[in-house]
Amino acid sequence: MTRALVLGGGLAGVLAAAVLARHAGEVLLVEGDHYPPGPLPRRGLPQSRHSHVLVSGGARALDELLPGTVAELLARGAQRRGLPGDALVLAAQGWFRRLDTGACLLSCGRGLLDQVVRQRALPGVTVLTGTRALGLAGDRRRVTGAVVETAGGGTRTITAALVVDATGRRSKAPGWLRAIGAPAVEEVTVSSGLAYSTRHYRAPDGLAEGMPAVMLHPRPAPGRPGQGATLFPVEDGRWIVTLTGTRGGEPPVDEGGFTAFARALRDPLVADLMAAATPLGGVRPYRDTANRRRFFERAALPGGFLAIGDAVCALNPVHSHGMSVAALGALRLAAELARHGADPDAFPAVQSAVAAQAETSWRLALAQDRPRDDGAREASAFQREILARRSRALLSSPELAAGFFRAQALLPPPAQDGAAVARALTGEPEPLLTTEEAVAQHPALHAWCATHARAGGEPIRR
Amino acid sequence: MSLQISDAVIWQETAGGISLYHTESGDFHSLNETASRIWTLVADKGEREAIVSELSQQFSGGSVAVSVRIVKDVQAFLGTMIEQGLIEERPALS
Ligand SMILES: Cc1cc2nc3c(=O)[nH]c(=O)nc-3n(C[C@H](O)[C@H](O)[C@H](O)COP(=O)(O)OP(=O)(O)OC[C@H]3O[C@@H](n4cnc5c(N)ncnc54)[C@H](O)[C@@H]3O)c2cc1C
Repeated sequence: MTRALVLGGGLAGVLAAAVLARHAGEVLLVEGDHYPPGPLPRRGLPQSRHSHVLVSGGARALDELLPGTVAELLARGAQRRGLPGDALVLAAQGWFRRLDTGACLLSCGRGLLDQVVRQRALPGVTVLTGTRALGLAGDRRRVTGAVVETAGGGTRTITAALVVDATGRRSKAPGWLRAIGAPAVEEVTVSSGLAYSTRHYRAPDGLAEGMPAVMLHPRPAPGRPGQGATLFPVEDGRWIVTLTGTRGGEPPVDEGGFTAFARALRDPLVADLMAAATPLGGVRPYRDTANRRRFFERAALPGGFLAIGDAVCALNPVHSHGMSVAALGALRLAAELARHGADPDAFPAVQSAVAAQAETSWRLALAQDRPRDDGAREASAFQREILARRSRALLSSPELAAGFFRAQALLPPPAQDGAAVARALTGEPEPLLTTEEAVAQHPALHAWCATHARAGGEPIRR
Repeated sequence: MSLQISDAVIWQETAGGISLYHTESGDFHSLNETASRIWTLVADKGEREAIVSELSQQFSGGSVAVSVRIVKDVQAFLGTMIEQGLIEERPALS
C-alpha cells in the first residue's frame, strides 16, 4: 500500500492531499499549526488576516478539483466581483469604466475559504496538526519519509513512498534535500519591497450589499515609492482594507498613521469609506512579499519527492495569484497521477509539470516587479506614444480591457480583434471619469453616497 | 493580387523610416529605408505587380540582373510581412 505524506496543510497541501487520496492507499498530512474551529484566521498562516481574492482561473481549478466549492463559498457569503464590471479601479491613467470582460474575482476571508476547502478535501486524509516537519528521510536517490516533531515535543520518522512539501513561502525543503545528499535547488528572489497594512471593517448600513471592490493603484511617479489601497467586500457585511507601499513608502501600522496614509493617497475614496465604516480590530502588517521561485525541477531530485504551492513559487501578493497557482498546481498533479499512478519514480517529471503551471504568474509578476534593466534599449517616441495611448484606451475599450483583465484572472485570452484595438488606439479616447462619475457607475455606492451627504454627515465627495 | 496593410496594424512614418505596431501580437517593428519604401507603396498602390514593377524600374538602372534581384527581395519582404500578419493579400477585385 503506497503511503503519501504531505508536509504543510495550507491551501496547496490540503488540495495535494485530496488529489493523492484518489491514488495512494493512505495519505497523511502534517501541519505545524492547529486549525481554528470556524472560518477564522490562524497563527500559522499570518497572511490569513489579509485580503485574499481568488481570480477566475484559480476558482475554476478549485471547482474542478472539488466540485461545488465555489457555490458553497458564495452561499456562505463570499463575494464575486467582475473585473472591472463590479469594481472601482483607479489605474495609472484614471478610472476604469464598467466593462464586462468575463474576468472575476472571488473575495472572502482566507479563514472561510480554507475551512470550506478543508471540509471537502480532507475526508480520506489522516491529519496530524501541531506536528512540524523537521527534515526528510532517505538519500539522494529516494525520499522515504520525513522526520517530524509531534505535538508532545518528541520526534519521529514517518515513512512514506511519496513526500510532498507544501510548507509555503518559507519552505526549508532545499536544506532538507541537501541534508540527505540531494543536489542544491536554485532559488531566485525578486522583491519590489512592497509592504502591506490591513484592517478589517464592518460596512456601514446600506453598503453591506452591492459594494464594488475598490482598487487604487499608485500614482505613476518614477523613482518614488508606489502607494495604493484596496477595499474588498467579504462575507458578513465586512470589508478588508489593505494599504500598500513600496520601499521607502511603507504604510504605517498604527491607527492614526493608517488613516493618514489612506487620506494622502491620490484619491481619498478609500479613506472616506474607511471613515464611514466601523473598524474591527487593529492594523496588521505583512512585509515578506518578495517573489520567490525555487527551481526544484532543475535539480536531479530523489524519487518520491515533490514540492507544490508557495514552496515552489511564492508571488508578491499584490498580484493575487498565489492561491490560484496552488489550485492549478494541484490540478496538474491530479492529471499527472492519473497518467503515471502514484509512482515515486515519476515524481521528478511531475515536479516539472507542476512548476510549469506557475510560469505565467511568475512572468507576470516579474514583468512588474523586476528592477528596470538600465542596459535595455530606450523606447522610441513611437513606442512611448503607443504605450501611452494603450494605457489610456485600456480604461474604456472592451477589447483591451478584456485582454488585460483576463490575463490578470488567469483566463484564456479573448478572441483577437486587432482592428477594434487599432481603432481604440488611434481614435479619440473616451473622456477620463472624475471620481464622482466613476462612483456613479455603481448604483448601490452612488445611492449611499447621495444619502450620506444629504443626512448631513461628512460629504463623501468634495 | 491585392495587398493591404492589416487593420490590426498602426504605423507611422518617422525620420528614421516606418515604425509599426501590431495590436494582436503586441510587437513593434521598425523598417529600414528600402522596406519603408515598399511599405509606402503597399499603402498607396495595393497591387503586388505594380509595386514590384515600380521598384524595379526605379532602382534597376536598366539592368536585368539587378531587376531580377529586386523582384526577389521585394517578394521575400512581402512574404515575411504577410506571414507576420502585418500585410494581407487578397485576390484583386475584377
Ligand atoms: C499578505 C498576503 C496576501 C495574499 N493575498 C492573496 C490573494 O489575494 N490571492 C491569492 O491568490 N493569493 C494571495 N496570497 C498568497 C497565498 O497566501 C498563498 O499563495 C497560498 O496560501 C499558498 O498556499 P501554500 O499552501 O503553498 O502555503 P501556505 O498557505 O503558507 O501554507 C503553508 C502551511 O504549512 C504549514 N507549515 C509551515 N512549515 C511547516 C512545517 N515545518 N511543518 C508542518 N507544517 C508547516 C503552515 O502552518 C501553513 O499551514 C497572499 C499572500 C500574502 C502573504
